Amino acid sequence: MITSTLNGSPIIEVTGLDKSFGSNQVLKQIDARVAPNEVVCVIGPSGSGKSTFLRCLNLLEKFDAGHVVVNGHDLAASRTNLNLVRRDVGMVFQSFNVFPHLKVIDNVMLAPMKVLKLGRREARERAETLLAKVGLTDKADAHPRQLSGGQQQRVAIARALAMEPKVMLFDEPTSALDPETIGEVLSVMKKLAEEGMTMVVVTHEMGFAREVADRVVFMADGVIVEEGPPKQVFEDPVHERTRAFLGKIL
Amino acid sequence: MTFYFGDILPYLPVLLHALWISVYVTLIGFAAGSVAGVLISLARSSGVRALSAPAGVYIEIFRNTPLLVQLYLIYFGLGQVGINFNPFWSAVVGLTLNNAAYTAEIFRAGFESVPAGQREAASALGMSPVQNFRYVVLKPAVRNVLPSLTNQLIVLFLFSSVGSVIALPELTNELSNINSLTNRTLETFTYGAVLYYLVSVAMAMSSRLAEKTLFRW
Amino acid sequence: MNDGGFAQFLPPLLRGTELTLMLVAVSGVVGTILGLVFGMARICPVPPLRWVAAVYINFLRGQPVLIILLFIYFALPLLFPAATFNRGFTAIVGLSIYAGAYMAEIFRGSIEAIPKGQEEAAEALGMGYFLKFRYVILPQAMKIAVPPAIGFLISLVKASALVSVIGFVELTQAGHIISNINQEPLQTFLVVAVLYFIVSYPISLLGRWYERRLA
Repeated sequence: MITSTLNGSPIIEVTGLDKSFGSNQVLKQIDARVAPNEVVCVIGPSGSGKSTFLRCLNLLEKFDAGHVVVNGHDLAASRTNLNLVRRDVGMVFQSFNVFPHLKVIDNVMLAPMKVLKLGRREARERAETLLAKVGLTDKADAHPRQLSGGQQQRVAIARALAMEPKVMLFDEPTSALDPETIGEVLSVMKKLAEEGMTMVVVTHEMGFAREVADRVVFMADGVIVEEGPPKQVFEDPVHERTRAFLGKIL
Repeated sequence: MTFYFGDILPYLPVLLHALWISVYVTLIGFAAGSVAGVLISLARSSGVRALSAPAGVYIEIFRNTPLLVQLYLIYFGLGQVGINFNPFWSAVVGLTLNNAAYTAEIFRAGFESVPAGQREAASALGMSPVQNFRYVVLKPAVRNVLPSLTNQLIVLFLFSSVGSVIALPELTNELSNINSLTNRTLETFTYGAVLYYLVSVAMAMSSRLAEKTLFRW
Repeated sequence: MNDGGFAQFLPPLLRGTELTLMLVAVSGVVGTILGLVFGMARICPVPPLRWVAAVYINFLRGQPVLIILLFIYFALPLLFPAATFNRGFTAIVGLSIYAGAYMAEIFRGSIEAIPKGQEEAAEALGMGYFLKFRYVILPQAMKIAVPPAIGFLISLVKASALVSVIGFVELTQAGHIISNINQEPLQTFLVVAVLYFIVSYPISLLGRWYERRLA
């Protein structure tokens, strides 16, 4: 939740973002801003470019034109150390991407030890705290294949949090989950938001967006059609396109 | 170090003739071996112990022993009991028997890749097992394993070089001879390497062509 | 056919088997290391390295093993005169180069089989190229690489027979020499074949067992 108004500099600033896959232009001159502690939910139909947009924020997708400045670092500048920037930006994927060859606790400890150069004991303490936070303390020594989808996704969240990021990006985190397990992941995300984490969430979970987001962004056909507080976007959308989309799914 | 690639040029006709022998032996071995391979594969999956056990043993023996030893057995070993094959026929027989074992495994995968429903439909239409196999199973199976078969052809071609050890006048043999005559090792074997490489590539390309023309549906 | 006298030829044949195993073990290890280096070079982000690796791999895989062995046998002494009389060393160099090219393709295939999401997760955590490979990609790729590597090991055993052509007395050459002495190539080479089978077959069973375990 926003605890301060947008008077300081935004933690993410996007200007004029363009991205094409071959001849298909997926992002068209996107401008966006994310304030510290803000929770932004990005919604929209498939093919709207919302996942691509999210992935541009930590340069998992390279963009063709425009600027993305994260935490003061210009991602397009050649002298930016990408690995350094990525320590401050955590990402949770739709397909979890947990490391199958490592135990749960080792999944969470790996990056802090090897990237942040933490000692083993410190990394373990951090990992255990985070596993407790996502409710998986008893699974610390299990292998990912023994876990349900929802549990694996919670491991992925703990893994990303272990880097103590300033921003957390979520790319449709519950789209690949069974309905029963969606709830456990969403409640972890809600807790994170309440603690003040800056979050950008691409999602189809409108209930979550309505309840947790500070701002909802509606994308379609590569542009931001409309954005605003959830109450406004969901109950009184300005644009016809937004109305049409919401009408179909709500 | 200076290189004298020109010194080898006069021998080019000889090399090309020897290359032709390599290719010729390979093609016969591949064709005969594939036919045998289909039969062995059918025996292996037949479910009739008297057929599948010997087929299985055949496959394991030929896949777990070197081609060179197989050729020695045919060329020298059989000679001991009065069956005399000359280098050419020794190589052909050897390559055929060897290839049969490998293509048997390739075809087994191919036959298994044709959905059972296809065979059931054919049976339901009243086709005999032989007709079923010939018209419904064989062609799709071959198309599915065309890459593996092509690979096997190329491998067989490269293995035709082993024939040089039993005095088959194929490419590797000639390369050794020319090397002894001219002492231009690097140059000679570079010619050889390029020739082998070009033919391998040509085989791969013809296979892709075959796939587009014969197996298009 | 007198089997009674044949037993005297078993010790040299067993010695030949030993040498075959030595050849396979050494060139297998060296070939695996070469394969890892060239396999990774083949997909690394530096275009000249990729190109060099691609040429090495594709050219060598399009050659008969015999050509590689003969070439090394004749050319190596020109570069390193000390190698002239050590056939074993020449054999190992030749087989290792051959193995390197095939193992490189096996490693490349295994690395490419790993879902892209794994790489992305590692990158999102701030891992650079070497960390990513060392802790996320390679550990998974190695497991995938084992069945084809075992299959290749059998090919290496069979390829080692060709080393006889350059006069190194491994199993096949031992058989050849013995059959010239006893004029009984049929028995001799049958025993040689059996010995190769005893070496290869367990390896192929191991490969099949491992493949079942992976599934």
